Formats: sequence, structure tokens, C-alpha cells
Amino acid sequence: MANKSERSWREWKTQRRDVLRVIAAFLAEHFLPRRAFAKKIGTYSKPSHRVIIVTFGGGARYQDTLAPEGWRNIPHLTQDLIPQGLLYPTAINDGITDHYNSSAALATGNWQPVDPWGSQPPQSPTLFEYFRKERKLPAEEAWVIATNKSFGLIGSSQVRGFGDRYAANVILPKQLLLDAIQRAVSTDKGPGVENREAFAKQMLSALDEGYEGFGWQVYESGHQISRELKYSLEKALLDYFNDPRVPSSGDTLTFFMTKEIMRRFSPSLMLVNFWDMDIAHFGSYSLHLQAIMRTDRLVWELWQYVQSSPDYRGRTTMFVIPELGRDGDADGNGFCNHRSGDPSCRHVWLLALGEGVPRRAGSERPIRHVDIAPTAAEILGFKAPGLEGKPLVELAV
Amino acid sequence: MDLYAGLDPEAKELVERHEPVLAQLPRTFLVNTLLRIEKWASLFPAEKRYFRALLDQLSALRDSQFKQMFGALAAFEQKTGCGRLDAKDPAMLQQEQLEYLQRQESNFEWRRLIEAIFQKLEPLVEARLYSSELPPRLVVLIYSQGIAIERETLWERFQGNGIRVPLALGSAQTTAPFLSELLSGQPATQAVKPAPTLFRQLDRENISPLDKWLIEAGDELHGLCETNDDLARLGPCATGLSYHRLRPYRRRLSNAIYSRVSSGGAHGPVQLARWLETLEARPQEGLSLYHDRTVLDFVRDILVLGGNGTLIINNSFVEWSSVQVLHRAQPRLLVARFGVRDKLKPFSSLLLFSQPRPTDKIPLLQDPLGSFVDVELETYYIWLKSSNELPYRGKTLYLLLAEGVDQMFALAPSTKAANLSLSSRATLSDVNATMAAWLGLKTGILSGRPISALLS
Repeated sequence: MANKSERSWREWKTQRRDVLRVIAAFLAEHFLPRRAFAKKIGTYSKPSHRVIIVTFGGGARYQDTLAPEGWRNIPHLTQDLIPQGLLYPTAINDGITDHYNSSAALATGNWQPVDPWGSQPPQSPTLFEYFRKERKLPAEEAWVIATNKSFGLIGSSQVRGFGDRYAANVILPKQLLLDAIQRAVSTDKGPGVENREAFAKQMLSALDEGYEGFGWQVYESGHQISRELKYSLEKALLDYFNDPRVPSSGDTLTFFMTKEIMRRFSPSLMLVNFWDMDIAHFGSYSLHLQAIMRTDRLVWELWQYVQSSPDYRGRTTMFVIPELGRDGDADGNGFCNHRSGDPSCRHVWLLALGEGVPRRAGSERPIRHVDIAPTAAEILGFKAPGLEGKPLVELAV
Repeated sequence: MDLYAGLDPEAKELVERHEPVLAQLPRTFLVNTLLRIEKWASLFPAEKRYFRALLDQLSALRDSQFKQMFGALAAFEQKTGCGRLDAKDPAMLQQEQLEYLQRQESNFEWRRLIEAIFQKLEPLVEARLYSSELPPRLVVLIYSQGIAIERETLWERFQGNGIRVPLALGSAQTTAPFLSELLSGQPATQAVKPAPTLFRQLDRENISPLDKWLIEAGDELHGLCETNDDLARLGPCATGLSYHRLRPYRRRLSNAIYSRVSSGGAHGPVQLARWLETLEARPQEGLSLYHDRTVLDFVRDILVLGGNGTLIINNSFVEWSSVQVLHRAQPRLLVARFGVRDKLKPFSSLLLFSQPRPTDKIPLLQDPLGSFVDVELETYYIWLKSSNELPYRGKTLYLLLAEGVDQMFALAPSTKAANLSLSSRATLSDVNATMAAWLGLKTGILSGRPISALLS
């Protein structure tokens, strides 16, 4: 019974994928301007280095990832990426162990005791603001692409002298996805979500209606999604629907959006937030582990993309870090949650890759999440004063 | 604000009797305690006993003991100012306090102080509660047929804490004969008429239905009781929860929550959680065994406030219900049975609590491999959490079985230290006799023989 169902599901997917491929090719060839931002890029001095901070996110315990019993869940990290970089096996989250607070600590270099559900911006200036203000950079140079839909305000603080005018563009692909699903299933009429072709069209049309409904903060060109950005996002959506693995996860869409934004804008500073593994709250360990494995693959593919891109290869430093762990079995509430504040919630790891990073190296020195931001500031060559974190001295920046 | 205004008369009488000591308690501790007592009508007898013992103990503290126990928290409240907050009821007040502490970055310190108090207080309360000999308890955890068992790793998390018992299943290779022989002690091949299950047999010991629970993803155990236990004449043999049978209720809850979310009635998780707390929706459907108001409220809370996918994933429901039942109701017998989880549907499953549209034709697929990974950890959590609770510690026999699998894992007080190994195969009737003997039933009428290594 299951085999028959799986077969029909597979056949159905294959047919839809072919149609989508044609649409994607058509769009790409006839509408997308090549290097749409070539003129804009020429109007400012683009930094020579790039930094990408990736949250291996949604909450991953050390025991399910970097500990020997977790290696099977992160084959790309252990076999492909760790040998290329510098591993800190002890990264400590000393702040509030919620996704928004922890990711905001990565983006600011300060612990962030703000509302965990993202209703408040970070209390101190973000890296994006320092970077753009000092280097007089446009918004295209700093992006946050986040699966977690509560990250709408993470792009800037409201500190005097900083704020929106120096913020990062923030887009929340999963919010777009959820919005489209919501519309598709709100009535029994229409194609719903089973017809991926129609569903993809529905998502594309949603982009015509602006972005604020998705909680996005896009400063790239006023308060309308510009033609170039819209094309980029459309391309990312079609790539997502064309993915041979037929994904339905928020992280996969985040990955495709990230690649497309890199391809079109080559931003110098990005925070990429993966989050699928927070499905652990549902209590299914296998779904949580599947999400860890998917994130492992997406991080690897992102690094491969960095290496294949002339705008990034040889000039990019990438940090990969779980923004938080999850509760331990014995002392906490188990993998489902991450609020006990036990060591399993706080002890994760950091992998640094790329420019200025020694290869096949490790440092036993415990570091903290707030150390990432000052390190990124040094790499990109701007000042970020008064941070709680300290630059990672092991990196040759 | 009258903090006691919302209390049930029985709870109010209890609180008023201890008013002098309650008036001295640091306010955050008092509010937390009152909020739990406020749910008096929804508390199991074991919980009511606990709160009586807690208040008795607080009243019995000498001044110096009281200061030693609560002095640090009182000073903390003074320092932070959180003790001066006020609101219209205890729930709002606690919310205010927690948000205030979070804004001050003091919530972890507060939690640490509360934990420190309970570390001192709990042993005193437990000494009052469990001064007499505790009865033996039994927890049986079953994997249903269809879960893709990996024999080489089966129950490996328990290694070193118990023993594997080889089983001779005979004709009990599938669900119905397996469960029937395990719980009635009568092999299906010998059955002339249905024999009463262990749940019914325990009536002889005057064990109430609230002391015997069965919780399952499917409903085969419920069906067995309905066939074997003459419910119509003798009444319910146990308290039972079936995720499968609760489906209409789950759908009703999902629709209510989904409507609330999609209509914009809840602007975030915090608002949604507050609304859920007030949602008056007890199950009226899907409960065929014993259920009183406490059980109905328990089901509602598990499904609505469980927060761990209990509404969406069958085995999360089984695990979380089991952990909570063992913690709250402290039954003598729990049989929990896991099932095969469905795969999450692409896209539509991303909408929390929504039901897939009837017009969508995406086939429902099961996930036998993923289910195995899930239940291995869920079983471990049930054991880990309950074996740390005093009524269960050193008093409980845990039996882990998988339908159609010719081995069982047993965790008994005797097995951890004894480094036992068993070579002779036991039948499911023997396992039934072991369970009965463990719980103090006379086994003369049963066809199986107790496994003596587990009983010593």
C-alpha cells in the first residue's frame, strides 16, 4: 500500500517538476537582467572581504552533532568542512537560550535580553549598522535571510545614530511560504498545495503585493520590492520548486534565496538563519535528526557555492554555529526544549572557514557567541566599539 | 487583589487553614503555589495529597528554618522589586513577574533560587507523603507492529540498567494474540472464552481505575479490554487514552486553534498560550474507559498545552501523557503502547494545527523507520523521568516489549545490581504472571510462571 502511494507521489512530482523547469528557464532567459546592479555597485567602494554567519540553527545539541555519536548526523561537516577550517569545540551561549536572542547576540556581539518572540529590535547596534555606517554602504551590502519568522527586526537596533538607515535587508522566506500555503488551503476550491505548479505561481504572485505582509524589512530601494530584487526572489522560488529533492522545508527555501541574493548582489555581510531542526518541539527525534542532516547538507552546499562564485571565492570567511543547544536528557527536559539553561542548552561549537582561517585546525579555548561579531568586524575592517565579545585571536585577520 | 478569590471551596479551606505561613511567603513563590492549587478540581488525588503535605510542612517550619529556606528569595524580591508587582489575578500577576524578571535579566537567578528552595523543601514534604512502605509499581512500554524494529540497536539506551529476556512467542506473532496473551495470560490458541486482562484482575486488590492507566497511539488495547473485561457489567477496568479514538476531539481542538490563529486572534505564541489556558473544551468523544473530570482536564491539557506536538504526532501524545500521568497521578500500573507515526505532509504540515484539505490528494504515508527512532528515545524518557520520582524509584518493574519480537527488556530493582542474564525463553503468559506477581496478585489461576529473576 505504502509502496503504491509512494510511487504515485513520485510520478506526480516528476511531472510537475518538468513544467516548473520550463517556466524557470523562460524567466531566467527572457526577463532577468544580467548584473542588474552593475551600475549601483560602481557608485561605492565595495569591501574586499565577505563574511557569512550561518546559524546551524533551530537548536542542536552537542551530543547530536559534534560528539562522536552525532557524527552520523553531520557527515558533510565532519568529512568535508571541518578539515578545511578551524573548529572551536566549545562555544558557549551565556544569554537567553531562545532563537531570536541568541541570533541577535551573534549579530551584535552583545547578549540580548529582549523579547524572545522578536517583538523588539536588538538593544545594541548590529554589525550591519556599524558596517554600513562607517563604510557608507548601501543596504544591498548587508542581508539577513532567516527561516525563523520572528526575525523581522533583527536587521537593526533603534540606538540613536543607528537604526533603519543602516539596517540590513531582512527577508523571511518561510513566512512567504506559509502565507502562500495559507491562501492555497483557505478554500476547498482551487489547486491547494498538491499542485506545485499552481502553488509556485501563487507564491510568485504574492511577491507582486509587496513584502511587508511577510514581515520583511527591505531597504534596498524604498518600500517597494524593486524589479531586480523581485526577479531574484522569483528565480530563487523556482529553483526551490525545481529542486530534485522536492523540498518543502523552510530551510531549503532560505538556502535558495541566499544563493540568489549572493548571485545578484554579492553582499559583503550576511546572516543566514536555518531553523528547521526546531521541529524538535513536536517531540519527534527522527524529524529533528533529519533536519540536522538537511542543515548539514545545506551548509556544505552553501560553502560549495561560495567556492564556485568569483565574487566570494578567496575572499570569504564563513562562521557556522548553532545559535543554541537543546536541553539534556538527564538534567534538562530532553531534546524537545531549550529553556532549562542547562549545559546542553548552552554548550555548542563553532566552525570557521575560508579567508584568514587556518585549515585542519582546532582550538580547545572556550569561546562565546558574542565573540563572532567583533571577529567579523575585524575581518571586514570596521570598528564596533564596546562589545561584550572579543575577537577570535586564532584567525589571521 | 484577593489572591484566594478564584479558589475552589476545598482548596480555599486548605489555604485559609495555612494563611499565617502563606502570608509570609515571598510573593513569587506564593503566586506559583496558588496557581497550582487554583486547579484543585483538576488535580489527581496524589497531587491533592502533595499540596496538603506541602502546606502542612510550610506551617511546621520553625522561624529559623523558614528564614534559611526563603531568605534568599525574599532578599532577591526586595532587590529586584518584583515582589511589589500587582495584577488583577494570580495568573496575570505571575505573567507580570516573569516578564519583569526577564527585562531585568534576572529570570535565571530567580529560577535558581526557586530550585534551591525546592531542593530543601521536597525531602521534607516527601518524608510526610511517603512515610509508609510504598507499593510496587509496573510500567509496560510496547512498540506496536509496523514500527521498523532494528534488532541490533533495540533498547540500547537501557544497556547496563536491565536485562534482555528471550521470549517464546508461539502463535502470538501479531498484535491481537500478542496483546491478548500478554495482558490476559491466556494464549490465544487455548482461549475458550476471553480471559480478563491484568487491569480487571487488579480489581481484586481494590486498585481504582485511576491507579491503572493504558495510553496508546492506536486502540487495540482498548478493544482488548472491551472484549475481555465485561465493561458493561463490571464498569471500567482502567483509565484509558487512545490517540486514535480522540481523533474527533483532536480535530475539534485543531479547528478552534487554527481559527484563532488564522483570524488574527492571537498575535504571537505568548498570546496564543494565554488564550489556550482559557479554552474550555473538554473531550466529549473518544473516551470509552474510566474518565472523570480530572481525566478530561488532563486530556485537554496534554493536547492543548503539551506543546510538544501531542496534537499532531501520536507517539508524542503517548510519551508526554505517560510522563505526566506517572508524575501527576502516580498509578500502580501504566501500559503505554506506541504506534507508527505518519509522515508530515509536504507544505500543508507547515501550517500548525491545520487539517489537510479534503480535496488535496497527497497520499498519507507512514514512517516506520522514523517511528523506531522516535519511540526508542520516548521510551527512554518515560523511564528516565519516572525512575527519578520517589514513588517509582526502586519500586518499579519496567517491561519493554515489541509486538512480534522474541525478546523483552526488563528493568527491575533487582536487575541493575545483579548483572543477570537469562537463557531460557519465557512465554507471554509467563510475562503476564510476572506482572501479576509483581503487583501482588495471587498467580494460581494463571497459566504462566513468573520469571523469578525479575521478582527478587
